[in-house]
Amino acid sequence: MAKTHLTPSNPFKEVSMMGKFLRPYFYLFPAFFFLAIFTYFPIFRSFYVSLFRWNTEYPQKVFIGLRNYVDIYNDLLFWKVVKNTFFYSTSTIMVSMCLALLLALLVNRKIKFVSFYRASLFYPNLMPMVAVSLTWLWMYNPGYGVINYYLSKLGITPIEWLNDEKIALWSLVIMAIWKNVGYFMIFFLAGLQTIPYDLYDAARIEGANIFQKFWHVTFPLLAPFTFFVFIISIVNSFQSIDQVYIMTQGAPNDSTNLFVYYIYQQAFRYWNMGYGATLTALLMIFLLSLTLVLFRFLGGRIYYQA
Amino acid sequence: MLVPLAWTISSAFKSRQDLLSLPFHWIPREFVFSNFAEAMEVAPFGQYYLNTIMIVFGLLFIQLITITLAAYAFARLRFPGRDLLFFLFLMQLMIPAQSVVVPNYLTIRNLGLLDTKIAVALPYFASATGTFLLRQAFKSVPRELEDVAAIDGCTGLRFIYYVLLPLSKPAIIAFSIVSIVYHWNEFFWPLIVTDTPNARVLTVGLSILGQSIESSPDWTLAMAGTLVVAFPLFLVFVVLQRSFIQSFMRTGLKG
Repeated sequence: MAKTHLTPSNPFKEVSMMGKFLRPYFYLFPAFFFLAIFTYFPIFRSFYVSLFRWNTEYPQKVFIGLRNYVDIYNDLLFWKVVKNTFFYSTSTIMVSMCLALLLALLVNRKIKFVSFYRASLFYPNLMPMVAVSLTWLWMYNPGYGVINYYLSKLGITPIEWLNDEKIALWSLVIMAIWKNVGYFMIFFLAGLQTIPYDLYDAARIEGANIFQKFWHVTFPLLAPFTFFVFIISIVNSFQSIDQVYIMTQGAPNDSTNLFVYYIYQQAFRYWNMGYGATLTALLMIFLLSLTLVLFRFLGGRIYYQA
Repeated sequence: MLVPLAWTISSAFKSRQDLLSLPFHWIPREFVFSNFAEAMEVAPFGQYYLNTIMIVFGLLFIQLITITLAAYAFARLRFPGRDLLFFLFLMQLMIPAQSVVVPNYLTIRNLGLLDTKIAVALPYFASATGTFLLRQAFKSVPRELEDVAAIDGCTGLRFIYYVLLPLSKPAIIAFSIVSIVYHWNEFFWPLIVTDTPNARVLTVGLSILGQSIESSPDWTLAMAGTLVVAFPLFLVFVVLQRSFIQSFMRTGLKG
């Protein structure tokens, strides 16, 4: 190990100044190249294309300035879709996280069959959303589905899970909670294990009860990373489309039409690229401002630590 | 939590009359295995399996190269603009590929790559999650080791290959599992850029199977297809439960 001190004279380290300066950028180049083409460029392109009328009627792009934005502002369906998406994302993520925290606190003890519980809570996370959607579409079937069968045993009349405008979005939320809860539970379990046991001891000596322990020890220590995961999950949930495509196609009466599905409808069903790009541009504004909020709040501490 | 799985399995083995006969029962009156063979005939699932495997593993190989190089630069080198570039990498987490499907579709079309396997994988060649994960792992390798390796002429790429990577196995395994799961299950982007069986993946095949249902409600086939698509990951999950769960814990994120 003493040899370490000899390194300055190591001939292999002698590279030209220019080469040494550029070296880090060579290493970054491959990843950055693909990020540039498929993450940064699309942001600009969606803003650029949003300035044109470009659809089946106008196969050649026609510059129309901000007309698409005005159209969207007056598009009642757009506002409905925004409302649906916010409701869907926030209720799915918040309920999943609360349930998951509860489950994690329950499972984070020495009980029998822990790995069985963990596995059965976690497996939905590994299933393709398409497969999950088909399964639940069949479970929600009003006449033959398993859910209505058991409800009827309790004397509840069959529910039109996906055909009733007031219920359909809830049905998607319930399914998404089922799919997400195990993932969040695993995440909380990891967090709980990093909390030093002395803190609980100290709290006990101070005479804290179980709720005080949770509120003053567990919660503050889990909070920063939880916030980060919460935001990322909201962002991911905002992208939900597989289940809409498979289960409802936005019906009934667009009550389950979510943002990315609406983009899909405009761009790939009606081939209205200009409008689709405008919707994408608005989504970009939303996501980028969320990014700024997130970094302001965290100061980059999650990934910069250690 | 297990009801949907049991329901899928139960339906997949029932005959059509059995499925719709009341009262409802969990155990099929008679186990029908031909549902699987029939489901495989509705769409060329053999081809889809092959495509999915090629895309998922080919993509993983390329991702491992790009993220290793980038993670090395972020973890072990100092250079102007590092923080800014790091921030730009982080942005990928906030702009999921799904949200930029319209412009990316146009790019793929301009490149003449529509309906190819490479189009399905291309937007994911670089991965922010993977870069961060490996960066953490690379950072934990002591600097002395780098100095010692340098004496033996082991610098740059050779240092990465012979020293950093072997020492970062857990992080690499974690990323690989998460990447495989994510791309095995991915649906929307492949749906948009593929048109014919030679590039389609399993999830798209399953959705075609699901749509053929609307005309004649044939849930036995759809449930059999669901099992066919989800089975490989399930099998690996049951065998490697611990490392699967730990991988998702480590990455803290999907993709």
